[in-house]
Amino acid sequence: MTLVEDEALLSETFAALANPTRRQILARLAEGEASVNELAEPFDMSLPAVSRHIKVLERAGLVVQGQRAQFRPCQLDASPLEAVSEWAEHYRPIWESRLDQMDSYLQELQSNQSEGKTK
Amino acid sequence: MTAGTPETKDVVIERTLDAPIALVWQMWTDPEHFKAWYGPMGAAIPVASIDATVGGTRLVCMEMQTPDGTMQMWFTGEHREVVENQRLVYTESMCDPEGNILSPEEMGMPEGHPGITEVVVELREVDGKTKLTLTHVGVPADSPGATGWTMALDKLETHLATS
Repeated sequence: MTLVEDEALLSETFAALANPTRRQILARLAEGEASVNELAEPFDMSLPAVSRHIKVLERAGLVVQGQRAQFRPCQLDASPLEAVSEWAEHYRPIWESRLDQMDSYLQELQSNQSEGKTK
Repeated sequence: MTAGTPETKDVVIERTLDAPIALVWQMWTDPEHFKAWYGPMGAAIPVASIDATVGGTRLVCMEMQTPDGTMQMWFTGEHREVVENQRLVYTESMCDPEGNILSPEEMGMPEGHPGITEVVVELREVDGKTKLTLTHVGVPADSPGATGWTMALDKLETHLATS
């Protein structure tokens, strides 16, 4: 994965987490797999509404829905969360690379300038 | 969970650049200079518009080649602190090409907040060189939802650490 794709994925995980309902769903799944019905129980909202939240979490790669016929329990996939909790570690190489480029651009600019000054 | 202010997960990088402080300042505030260095490896910056005044906006397009064609990502933000040759603070969010921050609805969410991060650039002259300290803050302390966020992450991290 390139650094930029990495950044795009992180942004998606951040967006998925920026919602209290979805955070609660994740917290429930942290205790173990659960069906959509079980996940919907504590919420005062329709099953389709809860399903939509689950879909957002699935898209961000945080939730995996099992293939076991009727139940299809949801499971937490914590790997994107590790990326978020290691946020700094992911962004650091992006910034290091940028600052390397700034450094060489600065040297290039200044050597052109000094060449321009000498007759 | 730790007491007091939650541990922030910021990127902090220090660099000493062999260049005058005013030139390093321009690296961040002059769009032509900014375009020349900002793209991470493999990305180009076709658009950069920077109004370096407090409350002024930034709009940056990052473009890269992928097997599926050219992919563009747009970022916008607002300058929060502008002290020439010393300190620059701006926010950063993903947006559309017109600079509209992608709303939760557009990202397929009925409610919530888009991710906003904050970049802090501090410059200091040291023996004719410029010391640059870059801080990229993941969740600005005063951003909406920051508290819920930090708590949720703490909780999930505890879970990850024990599983």
